[in-house]
Amino acid sequence: MGTVIVVLILVCIVGAIVRSMIKNKKNGGGCGGDCGGCGGSCGCH
Amino acid sequence: MGIRIALAGNPNCGKTTLFNALTGSNQFVGNWPGVTVEYKEGKYKGNKEVTIVDLPGIYSLSPYTLEEVVSRNYLIDEKPEAIINVIDGTNLERNLYLTTQVVELGIPVVIAINMMDVVEKNGDKINTKKLSEEIGVPVIEISALKNRGLKEIVDAAVKAGKEANAQSPKHRFNGSVEHALAHIEELCLHNINDENVQRWYSIKLFERDEKIQEKLGLSSDVIQHIENDIASCEKELDDDAESIITGERYNYIGTIIDGCVKKAKKGMTTSDKIDQVVTNRFLALPIFAVVMFLVYYVSVTTIGGWATDWANDGVFGDGWHLFAIGSADYNDAADEFTANQLIVDGYDLYVEENESEPTGDFEYPVEDEETAAVEYETASLEDYAEAKAYVESNEEPDPAEYGVWIPGIPVFVEAGLDAIGCNDVVKGLILDGIVAGVGAVLGFVPQILVLFIFLAFLEACGYMARVAFIMDRIFRKFGLSGKSFIPMLIGTGCGIPGIMASRTIENDRDRKMTIMTTTFIPCGAKLPFIAMVAGAIFGGAAWVAPSAYFLGIFAIIVSGIMLKKTKLFAGDPAPFVMELPAYHWPTLGNVLRSMWERGWSFIKKAGTIILLSTIVVWFCTFFGFVDGAFTMLEEDQIDCSILAGIGKALAWIFIPLGFGDWEATVASITGLVAKENIVGTLAIIYGASGDVYETMRAAFTNASGFAFLAFNLLCAPCFAAMGAIKREMNNTKWFWTAIGYQCGFAWVIGLIVYQVGSLILAGQFGIGTIFGFAAIAVLVYGLVRKDKYNN
Repeated sequence: MGTVIVVLILVCIVGAIVRSMIKNKKNGGGCGGDCGGCGGSCGCH
Repeated sequence: MGIRIALAGNPNCGKTTLFNALTGSNQFVGNWPGVTVEYKEGKYKGNKEVTIVDLPGIYSLSPYTLEEVVSRNYLIDEKPEAIINVIDGTNLERNLYLTTQVVELGIPVVIAINMMDVVEKNGDKINTKKLSEEIGVPVIEISALKNRGLKEIVDAAVKAGKEANAQSPKHRFNGSVEHALAHIEELCLHNINDENVQRWYSIKLFERDEKIQEKLGLSSDVIQHIENDIASCEKELDDDAESIITGERYNYIGTIIDGCVKKAKKGMTTSDKIDQVVTNRFLALPIFAVVMFLVYYVSVTTIGGWATDWANDGVFGDGWHLFAIGSADYNDAADEFTANQLIVDGYDLYVEENESEPTGDFEYPVEDEETAAVEYETASLEDYAEAKAYVESNEEPDPAEYGVWIPGIPVFVEAGLDAIGCNDVVKGLILDGIVAGVGAVLGFVPQILVLFIFLAFLEACGYMARVAFIMDRIFRKFGLSGKSFIPMLIGTGCGIPGIMASRTIENDRDRKMTIMTTTFIPCGAKLPFIAMVAGAIFGGAAWVAPSAYFLGIFAIIVSGIMLKKTKLFAGDPAPFVMELPAYHWPTLGNVLRSMWERGWSFIKKAGTIILLSTIVVWFCTFFGFVDGAFTMLEEDQIDCSILAGIGKALAWIFIPLGFGDWEATVASITGLVAKENIVGTLAIIYGASGDVYETMRAAFTNASGFAFLAFNLLCAPCFAAMGAIKREMNNTKWFWTAIGYQCGFAWVIGLIVYQVGSLILAGQFGIGTIFGFAAIAVLVYGLVRKDKYNN
């Protein structure tokens, strides 16, 4: 049971990460962050 | 109804600082021109209906560079309701040149004289009332850094925007110029209703602005007619049209300055005095070298190193004593136990090797924890008896008995997983994969934060602008422009904004060359593996981290010289004119904010792309084929893993570089996803064989370790930065040329480092050494060969 819960949590985390990365990519991002230091952040987000 | 207010002004006059203060944003602020290359929007904190637009800094509305085009197009096409023209109060004359053009656009303008705190400190006086009368627009004193006059300037701009009543420019040109302008307006601009806009277009046409000719869609007949008007005016005033307009504007500004500004009489400013030393012809470079050495030394070896040791050994290791209370006593006890244990082990080793007990003194091995150097010490039989008695009567010290012991994250997680009876495979994935990999990367956060504090301070105080000036002097000798150094300065934080900052370079060939070489400078993401190599292979030697930075600069200069002599990049270097901003103490808030912004992006990456990568790396490390069956592997079977298979297939590429084993090969490959992955991957692979640093130390020699560092520092950057290169190059062929050059250059430098290093350090000579020297000969030829394409 413990293993199932851990695996489910892991799957949720990985899903959330993949979703946020896809969303970021669709928004023209994909640089992995550092928006504050990015010269074109507001142009692309 | 919403109102858009554009911030327009010269580079480095404080627009982004004002933008951040008005909107509460955290846009990057640097004390050098060209930080902003695209416009940014944000809502005004005091009224969400007001949108503030931060435009790239421009000196005029004549578009010479990409960011000037961005600013001008925004003002002409998007037509914001009002413009706040930000002016550096310490340099009115230059800043007013843009003002004379902005007020001609037909958009309500409010002038914000920024840096008034510095103006007052200098003892200068600006009569803003008179200045306002002279230019015909409201003038308000502000200090964006000290939050002074911000509400007043926005209120004035909102009022001007709502009234939508643009000022009429007060400045009039020489009679013959006005005559020509009137002709031009009559000829092709009478359809435009707004007289002010008519006038602006006519001036641009007078200046032969091709983009405006194109925008207005003028026929060749009309252009020829205009040309006749311009030519007759040029003949009369004996100058070219653009110079006539520029001269007239500066004459006008001169009269304004005479009437409105009183400068305090004084000698050299503090900034001038500092510059006499810092930009001195002979001292500048040594000072720069010392500064950067200290930055990396403190960040990686001392303060940052201590903090990272705590993070790696404590937070992501076994654990730590709260407030270090009890650590000293525990360390003493542990050292005493270890010293006795070593004598006992040494005795046993002697017996094993000699198949007899020692009859007198015997030697036993002691390994240095930092350098892994093994030294032999001598113990007597009495020492052995005492040590044996000690070991038998004492247990290994338990840190929890010496203070409040906080277990590290791996210990904590393992206990939790054991408590819920988690399956071994899932436990392995979490502990040996995610925690080991992500933990190894996050362990370097303290070093990165310390580095970013230093870089933020050097940028904000004005020193980095001097570095660009110093480097221009050197670059120019080799046919390069100092302008290329600005993207490289920005690239020390992250390569992506560095690559984007190359847009400030007008010359397309120089711009492409800068894009190709910017990522040679170690960015924040490369710091963890630099620190890891320094710590694991070189015993924490202080010179390793600074040498990575200087290797980056060396690679840029060498590449620049060689590439400039090729047909692809030939041409004179672009002129580099840069105003050196006055030195000032940056505010603590700005420095910390800059540090946190960059540091946070590093942490976020560890929680996203790095975490996913560690799962993949763990799976590929601990699964593979044994005796034809796909199975989970034991720690001593990882040579059969999927990752080992991939690494072995490609390892031959790196054999001449001294690290042709599958572990280093796959680390270099995963580094292409994100450079932090090198650390995460090595932590998982080497962690499977025991202590990561010890295994790594055994896998590399000094020469192969530095070759590994050099290759991964200089080869193609991470995927995100490659994407930025592709976007900025806007050409697939150029993109692959850039990536190919970076990888090829990195391989050649790695080859030289390993082959020559092995010859010097270990006396190894072979066919590889000959190739190493041949590579040096090719590089030297590339540097000194005759330049066929440039004068």
